[in-house]
Amino acid sequence: MKINKCFKHAFNMVLHSKLRSWLTITGIVIGVAAVIAIVSIGAGMQESMNAQLNALGGDIVTISPGFERGGGMFGQRGGGGEPQATTKAIVLGRSDLQALKGLPDIALIDTNIRGSVDISYLGKTGKVSVTGVDQKVWSQITTTKIKTGRMLDSADQNVIVVGGRLAASYFIQPIGINKMVMINSSAFRVVGILDDQTNSVYMPIQMAYQLIPEKTNDIYDTLVVKIKNQDLLDEAITNIQNKLMISRHVTSNKMDFSITSRKEMQQTRADTMNSMNTFLLAIAAVSLIVGSIGIANTMFTSVLEKTKEIGIMKAIGAQNKDILLIFLFNAAFIGLVGGIIGIILGTILSGFMPALMGGLPLGRGTAVVTFNSIAMALSVSVTVGILAGIIPAYQASKLKPVDALRYE
Amino acid sequence: METIMELQDVWKIYRMGEVEVPALRGVSVKIKKGDFVAIIGASGSGKSTMMNLIGCLDIPSKGKIYLKSHDISLLSESDLASLRGKTIGFIFQQYHLIPSMSAFENVMLPLEFLEYNDREAAKRTREILTLVGLSDKMHHRPSQLSGGQQQRVSIARSLVSDPEIILADEPTGALDSVTGREVLEMLHRLWKEHGKTIITVTHDPNLAKYAHTIIELKDGEILRISENHEVN
Repeated sequence: MKINKCFKHAFNMVLHSKLRSWLTITGIVIGVAAVIAIVSIGAGMQESMNAQLNALGGDIVTISPGFERGGGMFGQRGGGGEPQATTKAIVLGRSDLQALKGLPDIALIDTNIRGSVDISYLGKTGKVSVTGVDQKVWSQITTTKIKTGRMLDSADQNVIVVGGRLAASYFIQPIGINKMVMINSSAFRVVGILDDQTNSVYMPIQMAYQLIPEKTNDIYDTLVVKIKNQDLLDEAITNIQNKLMISRHVTSNKMDFSITSRKEMQQTRADTMNSMNTFLLAIAAVSLIVGSIGIANTMFTSVLEKTKEIGIMKAIGAQNKDILLIFLFNAAFIGLVGGIIGIILGTILSGFMPALMGGLPLGRGTAVVTFNSIAMALSVSVTVGILAGIIPAYQASKLKPVDALRYE
Repeated sequence: METIMELQDVWKIYRMGEVEVPALRGVSVKIKKGDFVAIIGASGSGKSTMMNLIGCLDIPSKGKIYLKSHDISLLSESDLASLRGKTIGFIFQQYHLIPSMSAFENVMLPLEFLEYNDREAAKRTREILTLVGLSDKMHHRPSQLSGGQQQRVSIARSLVSDPEIILADEPTGALDSVTGREVLEMLHRLWKEHGKTIITVTHDPNLAKYAHTIIELKDGEILRISENHEVN
């Protein structure tokens, strides 16, 4: 029998065992939909993460005091704490800043300090984190966009830029541009509201030194460095490290500062996400396997149910290969239809998923259904169908016509 | 007349657990091309077993069966299926039509196995269905046809590939006497006008009257072979 005729008979078999075929197809649909949804969400997260990486600036490097070495931090990140009894507190200071300024790889350096402050607005108070920044460079280094107002300016004093959430909903009344807020009993004018969802407050570093009592002038919590050429990031990090080791008189195994790049942070996040994706894919794969067992089950039942028809076909000239192909195509067809419906359902699901996962940090971004994931889902579902159909189809093809005809 | 099929000392032994039950014991017979043969006998005489062997649906435990001088036990399953498809048309007592297919599709099926081209197969199918008087019922499913009509579809299917042998297993067994007679007339016409070799297994004495050669079986052996000279 010609291949197209085998396919036609397989198709008719599916059509004439509607309910059972559709139940089996449902099993595959669920498996494929799960795979598509997970792969698409994964691809979506990857894409949004790449976008974030670019937005965050792959060219930003953060230097902090202390060094993480196996057991924990050496030195104090805060830098402003009580000096330890035996050693001097490990801090980043003016000398480090000077040392870095001499490096040709560096475009800009922002000096940061951080602390907790009391904030009050229209009689309501709260506690927020304030970051003192070098207002001359901060606007060029930060990747957060301004929503309303402006960034800090080099001539600014007693002004702040606040995070989007702080402005919108921290207090009963939203904070608007040019409103005055009290921070640790000093009045500050809000000049800008950031396009983010944080409660952070940014102010010129000199003002922050005055507000945060435990901070000492010219001692920084972090130095945020923008390097000139993002492609030479690793090289720049090495140069920064060498320069600081010389200026701080430390060797590589006694390093008392850490350098992290946002690229590195993103990489860590990507690794976490990949493991999560793999885990979810494994779950989806299990449902595909369950679906394929469903196909095998349906095919075995179908062979039993059609034993007499197989006998008739053989009596009137069907060869073993014809019967084998008809049953294999039947199984593949179930897989294919399941795959197609699964892709549609999975695409719809992946559209909803980011909204459902909105609360999770990894849930940001949209799902992307790629050609690859569709091709993969289709080939997997058809392969699963064929694999599940091999044994039943082989059994059917090997039936003796005389026994099959006698079967009741 | 040329011999189209020959059974030489054919035995068929079924194993029932430890016990061996011979259904045919050393049957030897030659069937001539263009003959109308009726195999008769009581229930359990070995008729159905002989029918399965003649139809190449089964192979003998001992002995040789030659179909058009091919020893069927030496053929591969595929070659046997192919030879069967080309040479033998089956008519079954219970019609054995495929319920999900229309009369047209059922009749065309053997041609699909023989890889006829679609146009030729469809033309041939229409001709044969018209020959058996079902030109207006071509697209009916078996469940939409009467017993007699289903048997005619079954006859059409047996004829469509123009086989030399028509093998009919109790073709009138499930039909009322009038319809049964129509089917017998049709078989007679196929024998007389189309020169087919008709082999039928029956216990219907009416059918036996239509046959030229009557092989009588008893307990798995040929009791007698007689010729009916009245038939013509």
